[in-house]
Amino acid sequence: MNTPLTSSLLLRRCAALTDEEFAQFRDFIYAKCGIWVDEKRKYLIQNRFEGRLATLGMKSFSDYIKLLQYDTNRDKELPYVFELVTTNETSFFRDQKQLDAFSQHILVPTLSEQRNKNKLELNIWSAGCSSGEEPYTLAILLHEKLGPEIRKWRINITGCDLSLPMIAKARAGIYPEYSFKTTPEALMKKYFTPVDSGYKISPAVTGIVNFQQLNLNDAPAVKRIPKSHVVFCRNVIIYFDAAMKKKAITAFYDNLLPGGSMLLGHSETIHGVSMAFTPKFYPGSVVYLKS
Amino acid sequence: MVTKGINELKPGVVVTADVVSKDGRVLLACGGKVEPWHINLFKGLGVVSVEAGESQDDARLKDASDYVRDYFVFVNPDFPVVTELYAFATEFVIHRLAEGWTLPSFSERRAENVEHLSDAFPMETASPNDIVGHEVQLSSFPDVYFKLRKEIDSPTGSVQSLSEIITRDVSLTAKILKLANSPLYALPEPVESIPRAISIIGTSELSTLALGVSAINYFKGIPPELIDMATFWRHSVSCAIFAHILAKAMGEKNTERFFIAGLLHDVGRLILFKDMPYASSEMLLHARENSLPIVIAEETLFNFTHTSISEALLTQWDFPPQIAILVNSHHNPLAAPSPREASIVHLADFFANVVGVVAGGMYALPPLEEGAWELTSLPVTSVRRICSDYESQAEQMFKAFF
Repeated sequence: MNTPLTSSLLLRRCAALTDEEFAQFRDFIYAKCGIWVDEKRKYLIQNRFEGRLATLGMKSFSDYIKLLQYDTNRDKELPYVFELVTTNETSFFRDQKQLDAFSQHILVPTLSEQRNKNKLELNIWSAGCSSGEEPYTLAILLHEKLGPEIRKWRINITGCDLSLPMIAKARAGIYPEYSFKTTPEALMKKYFTPVDSGYKISPAVTGIVNFQQLNLNDAPAVKRIPKSHVVFCRNVIIYFDAAMKKKAITAFYDNLLPGGSMLLGHSETIHGVSMAFTPKFYPGSVVYLKS
Repeated sequence: MVTKGINELKPGVVVTADVVSKDGRVLLACGGKVEPWHINLFKGLGVVSVEAGESQDDARLKDASDYVRDYFVFVNPDFPVVTELYAFATEFVIHRLAEGWTLPSFSERRAENVEHLSDAFPMETASPNDIVGHEVQLSSFPDVYFKLRKEIDSPTGSVQSLSEIITRDVSLTAKILKLANSPLYALPEPVESIPRAISIIGTSELSTLALGVSAINYFKGIPPELIDMATFWRHSVSCAIFAHILAKAMGEKNTERFFIAGLLHDVGRLILFKDMPYASSEMLLHARENSLPIVIAEETLFNFTHTSISEALLTQWDFPPQIAILVNSHHNPLAAPSPREASIVHLADFFANVVGVVAGGMYALPPLEEGAWELTSLPVTSVRRICSDYESQAEQMFKAFF
């Protein structure tokens, strides 16, 4: 017995996603980017896309799937799909223990090894960088470690994400206060300038970071990423099924230089996915080494 | 600004454009307030609709329904139980807004910074048994629980010995007496002693209550950054109340076990928070950032959920299996050995989460097994009655615990 106020309330705002449409849509997403949308997320998908359907003035998911498959402008719609299936926000200096382990056990030894080889260069790949917080954090870490010496180095941090809007945000380099909840204040002051819409990252940091949109399911594009000393891939492979996980981890392995290391999100594991790496356990973090 | 049909037009609404009759006369100028006689005049002169400002009621309905909708992203929007609960929660929020509550902003609904917390061991390799093994080594379970457990199983157990065990624990005694005098039993006369409570409520029923309530004391030292314990237990007690109401409505006997299963249904989560605080905080953030129910975020990041933890924990404690099973299957009731009973706690958890939305909950509602509701054989119309029964009991039940 609803009161008159709520008697006309509808929870559903667009045509229902039928089981058949869901299966088609799920298979389409999987084929495009390797993200596996579990049956349990059917209603979540319906919810996330209803706004997009309304914007396009579409009455059913069938129409939307048709657009994605056959429309001449179908490739222009893909970024919206990618954005809606992977929402992920992060913050600067997220997971301090992992950064400490990385800094102490990977970065410092790698830098001195490179100095010994007289090869002052370092490549880091941040695969799944969202709006750029992670690659910028790594760039700040390098500035802190190297100081003025950084000018002699050729450092390249490549930040990739499936979502084009995320890459655009990363390039803009302006962040709201919330992105700094885990950032030491001194570093925030040193590397960011307050602007109208938040805080802008300093040009010294952006100079060593490149961003590009990348689909980990696109093997030729993945092969073009410069060979890396370190790969960061936090909270990305959780979206993949076993086959795609294997594909991604193998791609990271192939991208790494001998002795390179891979870092995943906290509590993510490659157990049952790949035996190629040697895990090293540090307090609060695991690093996977390409031996 | 909205277009209002003449039949939904109410006195007091301010029009935002001239109301003009068919022959061009201005009946009410822009900015005028609609009086009751206007409505008759408009109808008489064939005005079909007017442009009106959003009334406060409309605005509140919109704010409240949008706020509540955010939590209903993981459930079937056409399932009648769900739509009933959606309307119920929206009304509840409207009510609170009218009382002066302000809706929490998006950033207020995010998780805290927990960079200073560390997991007990690497989550990458931890199994539920490892976590529970570590946990039970670390802290001992309340003594009174094991004494009760032994007494209940003993063939020589008596009302007197059971009373003695309970009364030796002052806080347990107080809680049991409060529960005995609560809407859980709705007794005509107040019960003032444990032996009296046992004689009225029954030995086995009271033992169940005492076991469950004594278990609560175990869960201390949970990092407050991860969860506010008052909110946690409020949800647990809410689930207990709903489980009890549902069980009674379905004609179940010995409804205490549903109450206790509801009370303890999320204890696995407390162990995760306690021993794996950093992994848990990453999991909670993942849930928030992706609008996922916590149980789905657990599955995604840990490959197991808090019910695997409670399963290991309650086995270690030799908890009565018929209650343990209700706790452990509350997210997967249809696979339980007695699906109808397991469905009670599953539904109670969902209802309690709906109530939690109104209290400013942070996470999407968990998936709802539609088959669980079918097993209750209750009509959809009873959803509202269950909610109002809950509302009439809640405050008094909370007092028994806090």
